[in-house]
Amino acid sequence: MAATEEDNGEFYLRYYVGHRGKFGHEFLEFEFRPDGKLRYANNSNYKNDTMIRKEVFLTPSVQKECRRIISESEIMKEDDNNWPEPNRVGRQELEIVMGNEHISFTTSKIGSLVDVHSSQDPEGLRIFYYLVQDLKCLVFSLISLHFKIKPI
Amino acid sequence: MRGRVMVDEDNDVVMTEQPRERGRERRKGRGLRLGGRGESMQQALLNDEEEEEEGDGGNDFTPLRSVEGWIVLVSGVHEEAQEDDILTLFGAHGHINNLHLNLDRRTGFLKGYALIEYENFVEAQAAISGMNGTKLFFRTISVDWAFSTGPFKGRRSSSLAKPRHKAIS
Repeated sequence: MAATEEDNGEFYLRYYVGHRGKFGHEFLEFEFRPDGKLRYANNSNYKNDTMIRKEVFLTPSVQKECRRIISESEIMKEDDNNWPEPNRVGRQELEIVMGNEHISFTTSKIGSLVDVHSSQDPEGLRIFYYLVQDLKCLVFSLISLHFKIKPI
Repeated sequence: MRGRVMVDEDNDVVMTEQPRERGRERRKGRGLRLGGRGESMQQALLNDEEEEEEGDGGNDFTPLRSVEGWIVLVSGVHEEAQEDDILTLFGAHGHINNLHLNLDRRTGFLKGYALIEYENFVEAQAAISGMNGTKLFFRTISVDWAFSTGPFKGRRSSSLAKPRHKAIS
């Protein structure tokens, strides 16, 4: 794996998951910008909830860790051609620019591995499925550590 | 088309090392064919902000305090390390308020990074100086601040970030 390219090249990531329903446009979206800014938005109108938006600058070390997670997943080798199309239940979008590669994948929501196995591209979709969880996990940790008071 | 078509915007890119052949960028995905961002509208919500002011360049940054303390990132953590290992090692440098040791969702082992919250700047700084580049289970770990007060640049100059931002909004 070309470590230098991954470490030094261009980097951008955006993930979106959401749907439109009786509580309006409910979605979660986060973005790692090339300059290190992490942006996070979470919206639901459930019980008149309002949108949560958070932004903070990360250090190059955090971006590097994010790159590592992506390159180890090998998501850049996949293609969304045979993935389920976004539907009424919802859509997911994953856009990544890393080195000289640019992907922008869209698919439906994935409830569980059952959806992955029953799709036409289980191997590719499984990579997407786990990568998204790992990225969310990283972002939730960063956002909650930076902004949230620790629950007692 | 509103996709971030980087191949179009590289004329003014200042490259210090070998020029990267952006014209050969490999692009994949329905999102790009549909015009970048699909049909979702949420991007407006993320993108309605003004650009940040540019800093002075260089890779230096100023660490940023988080709500309850100072967050330190440890990377290169062995997948079988335990919470206690981290707490013992890093607890030697100061009081740890909080530790996130996230798991790889597929394997169930550690993902490879830890986020540690120290209450005091001095303790966090001591952990970074004392632990960065050391070994944990025969693996070299990197220890650094997680958050900074502003954008980072260095190799990736703002000349790249700028048009990118414009393309998004």
